Amino acid sequence: MKKVLLAALDPVHDNAVKLLNRKLSELGYQTIILPPGVHENEVIERAIREQPAAILISRTLGYQVAEILGRLVDLAEAAGLREHTLLGVGGMAITRELGAELGFDATFTGELDIEEVVAFIEGKHLAENRQKIRFRHEKPDITGGYTYQFKDARIEHLLDQITDQILEWVKGKTTPAIERAKIRLAFLQEEGGNFLDSNHKRAGEFLERYLKWCGPQVQAFYREGKLPEGVRRLNAAEVAKLMARLKQMDCDSPRLPPGGGKPLVFVQYGTGCPLMDSIHIKTVEAWGADGVLHFDPSWGAQQEGLLEGWLSHQHDGTILTLENLRLIRSAMQPTTLWNVRGHRGLNTPEVQILAATAGADLLKINIPYGATAGGSDPARLTVDGVYSLRLAAQYGLPFDIPGNDELSGVPPYKTFAGMLVMVMLGLKLGAKPIPKPLLCYSPYMQIEGQMEDNYVDMNTAKLAVWREIVDAPLWPGEPVGFMTHTADRIQSAVTTAAHVALAAGLGVDAVTMASSDEAYSKGAISAAARVDTLRAVRDMLRFMGNCRFQATPRAALIQEQLRNEVIAVLEKVAQRGDFVAAIHEGLFGNQQDGLYPGRVGRDTVMIA
Amino acid sequence: MKRALDQVVDALDIETFVLCGDEEEARQIGERLLAELNLPHGDIVFLEFNGCGARLRLRSYLHRPGQGYPWLSPQEET
Repeated sequence: MKKVLLAALDPVHDNAVKLLNRKLSELGYQTIILPPGVHENEVIERAIREQPAAILISRTLGYQVAEILGRLVDLAEAAGLREHTLLGVGGMAITRELGAELGFDATFTGELDIEEVVAFIEGKHLAENRQKIRFRHEKPDITGGYTYQFKDARIEHLLDQITDQILEWVKGKTTPAIERAKIRLAFLQEEGGNFLDSNHKRAGEFLERYLKWCGPQVQAFYREGKLPEGVRRLNAAEVAKLMARLKQMDCDSPRLPPGGGKPLVFVQYGTGCPLMDSIHIKTVEAWGADGVLHFDPSWGAQQEGLLEGWLSHQHDGTILTLENLRLIRSAMQPTTLWNVRGHRGLNTPEVQILAATAGADLLKINIPYGATAGGSDPARLTVDGVYSLRLAAQYGLPFDIPGNDELSGVPPYKTFAGMLVMVMLGLKLGAKPIPKPLLCYSPYMQIEGQMEDNYVDMNTAKLAVWREIVDAPLWPGEPVGFMTHTADRIQSAVTTAAHVALAAGLGVDAVTMASSDEAYSKGAISAAARVDTLRAVRDMLRFMGNCRFQATPRAALIQEQLRNEVIAVLEKVAQRGDFVAAIHEGLFGNQQDGLYPGRVGRDTVMIA
Repeated sequence: MKRALDQVVDALDIETFVLCGDEEEARQIGERLLAELNLPHGDIVFLEFNGCGARLRLRSYLHRPGQGYPWLSPQEET
């Protein structure tokens, strides 16, 4: 193996060369390490004797750095070493500009990257070498390895009763959304395109059938070409430019947990524009995110029917069209996991179809949440939700169950009861559920004084109670640290990172994290704000390694209390014998909790 | 070559610390700073006054989602 001479041209700071010494020795290199404080003359004298393949110099102190390193390069030149010996430099005082200016063959900055150093010693072109390193090789299956066995027979029995009643109730019922979904599916299977494409022979016929079940805004879009206020069509030239830029990017990067493993880290996007979203997605991929979640505008969820084409608007949430989804998917690394939400609104079944068609890996469905905080009518969303779960099962796509109704002030046990109903309902329909308990500064628990000392006990208890009930994957969201963020980006990144680290320590499978713009509401989330928190999470996970947060004994008490209260809610719902009525009557969260039954889509359930 | 500002994806943030007597004065300084720098759609994202001065983060959206983006064009285009 090649010989490498290591020297710290620094009075005391030689950690980097010691670390290099160990790593290179382990790889079989013959290393010679000089003591700290060595003079540049001594380095060159030793190099003349040893004739190494490379000399690696470290320098931490900034004082006279250019003079000292410049002298070393001159001496190496004069000794004729440079013909066969590579000269590399790194350390806190070194920038790439300085290294290049002084004439070093390579400059190493930031945390030690041994692959980069080895490529240098071996004389390989770094860029060429880099292209061969892939950090992500395949898409992980979040649900893999879980049995979905209920560990609590009492809870299982109650859920069985409740979900049997739901499945019985939806029998023979349909909605405009389901009718549209059937038409959309048939059209996709037959023609595979969009309604307004004149190349599709039967597009007009399908469109007429589709529009019968659409609201006036969607009808005006297709019939008159009228765009909703603030919406604009993206043109082919803009899309082509984006695709050209994307081709120049390689955003594969090391995953955030050191050494890989759990948790997968997800980031939400939905700037309003699929072009901007694509760039944000590339940014989060480059900074280590494993997956992204599509957020659509709330107005889109409140109208019957979906638009089509490349559409952009200057508000939160990116419009759900097949073309927008396909464009966004094409921007992603093949290994990036993608979730498209359809947990509320009037287009839930159709969203599952478009998402699956565009290549989504995960769906999002939660009836109790969507039918309260999400604003959809409980009866309508129950029928649509069950149909959507069947679609998820058909597509073989897991669906996640957000618990964000807790943010309205709902006690976590009521939210959890609703999520558990969704778990059982999904399982009965052959789908794979992923519960998403919210790790946050829980409004209800604040009022109850349960989070006065720390944020660890409550969030630990929340995850533990799920582990106690069912063997299912856990994906805290959405995002973690909700209600702890301020507009100070440092504070915001710190609390996000702390919550991710807590969740990681508790063995969760995935987390959804915020940007440092989470608490800023007067403008779109910036790309820089996404980098802030990803950077913070990487360092926090590195800091924690395999260490864990230590909850106080209070966590166990909260866990027990949560479990008992979940059972109490499920008993009431089972006893009520009518899931839709239970939502209306506030059993999963009432007006005092800040929840109201949704109204969008009221009286639209029909007999099939 | 394109202007550097054309390569900014969306927002330009300016972070600083200003000496001032209270929060209101800090706000006024922030607003003046945005005006003096001639930044469009300026906003104070974060302001925290503590005794001697204020930590400020100012923001200007150079390219809002939904608009045309000069960064989509190749580097050599002006």
